[in-house]
Amino acid sequence: MANLSVKLCGIELKNPVIAASGTFGFGREFNELYDIGEIGGVSTKGLTLEPRLGNPVPRIAESRGVILNAVGLQNPGVEHFIEHDLEWLKSTGTCVIANVAGKTLEDYERICARLDGLVDMIELNISCPNVKSGGMAFGIQPKSVEEVTRYASSALKRTPLIVKLSPNVESIAENAKAAERGGASAISLINTLTGMAIDIERRRPIIANNTGGVSGAGVKPIAVRMVYEASQAVQIPVIGMGGITCAEDAIEFLMAGATAVQVGTANFTDPYAMPKIIQGLNDWCDRHNIKNVSELTGTLTLNGR
Amino acid sequence: MKDYLATIVKNEKIAENIYAVTFLLEEDCKARCGQFGNISVGGTHLLRRPIAICKVEGREVTFCYQVKGEGTQKLKTMGAGMRSRILLPLGNGFYIPENEQKIALVGGGVGVFPLISVLREYGKTKEISAYIGYRNQGAVCGVEEFEKATKFIAVTDDGSYGEKMNAVQAFAKDLAMGNRPDVVLACGPTPMLRALKALVEAENLPCYVSLEERMGCGIGACLVCVCDMTNGQKARVCKDGPVFNVKEVVL
Repeated sequence: MANLSVKLCGIELKNPVIAASGTFGFGREFNELYDIGEIGGVSTKGLTLEPRLGNPVPRIAESRGVILNAVGLQNPGVEHFIEHDLEWLKSTGTCVIANVAGKTLEDYERICARLDGLVDMIELNISCPNVKSGGMAFGIQPKSVEEVTRYASSALKRTPLIVKLSPNVESIAENAKAAERGGASAISLINTLTGMAIDIERRRPIIANNTGGVSGAGVKPIAVRMVYEASQAVQIPVIGMGGITCAEDAIEFLMAGATAVQVGTANFTDPYAMPKIIQGLNDWCDRHNIKNVSELTGTLTLNGR
Repeated sequence: MKDYLATIVKNEKIAENIYAVTFLLEEDCKARCGQFGNISVGGTHLLRRPIAICKVEGREVTFCYQVKGEGTQKLKTMGAGMRSRILLPLGNGFYIPENEQKIALVGGGVGVFPLISVLREYGKTKEISAYIGYRNQGAVCGVEEFEKATKFIAVTDDGSYGEKMNAVQAFAKDLAMGNRPDVVLACGPTPMLRALKALVEAENLPCYVSLEERMGCGIGACLVCVCDMTNGQKARVCKDGPVFNVKEVVL
């Protein structure tokens, strides 16, 4: 039995496998299938100050090896989450990461202040590609990444801040550095890549929003490369995600520089994907005589070196 | 709800572009009529296919599906002995209170299959009239099941089988002749459900409809498959539905 626990921003996770925001709700539905206390953490459905109804349907489409989604931040609002879901989610024993989004800098500041001390970590969604007011505008340029991170981090006295980076940018390394300068305790990446899928009979995009965020197995090489570049650029821990389907995928991200990983789309393909990945990590470590999974982080050697 | 390992027993064409696939599950499964399964078709398909349960008996479960996109195209090619994973039973299903004896089933297109599950569950205890609309004679299927109903009226859009009308018109015609059910259960294309909604509202009849939407997780976590509620909120088709009181949803 390998030691799968990892330390992230001073908090110990049972294992490095975290449910990615938007694919797991607040955990209740998956808890009907398995004890979600067994997974390292849960990043909640993206929360905003006010409830949001999200985009029209269809909100999802499939393309070979990937999916596209444009849910549009439908959520019951942060107060509803605090009142109805937070205590339950904490009681499962998993690490609770509140994913938050907003329209303005002040929104980010207010929602962070509201959740400070209530959750284990906050993940700043500045990269939702599916709503005009979903923070994507903050996630593109390093200057605005730094600014929104500073607003959020200044509102947090007790809870560590993770900034979730968009891949739809000029330089992932520059944006990672900007988040670090702004006061982030960690960064997570990648959010979805903006894409489009067309119904050729109707000559219209399948998704009502026209474009959607691309995720799933097919985006993994892009995500691994970006996690590598970002982790080389910053000192703070990196949480890697993008197309992780099995333990071997997760190990690629760890080797590329991630301290922990998130799993999203794979939860749709196989609702037991995360428990299987955790078991697989243990088995891989055992086979390779690795005592602590944390030893794998950043162990990649580039060819020619 | 359980993620069953399932082995295909048979997978055959039952009408133009419509197939019936029967799986043998690793263990017994209990499902209510109107519930669905989320079927993995493997390969590069990351999303499972949510398909209404047509019948379930012990370890055997049958789904009927229309070949529409790449996923159902793939499912069509899967033969006996091939294995898959199916998460089921999902959704709320149809529920008929004991005091409601006379049931009208109104179905069109692939919407006829969840109604077969109603007939199998309530056929012996309730008086069921089925009003089923098909595109044309080639699309006619499930007849041997619907013939077990107290009354079965099949119609087609082009008149090639039964009268030339749609399922709602067939139901309305029977209603006008004084055959009034206690409750109406329906599944079919949205325009059909819209026409039915107008009719049952005018007639003040209780009516439950089963909705269809593109799904992600199938268990209520991802908020992909929502529908609009008349109270301005959204409901999850996979978890809060797929069966809704027609009064509560915007079609």
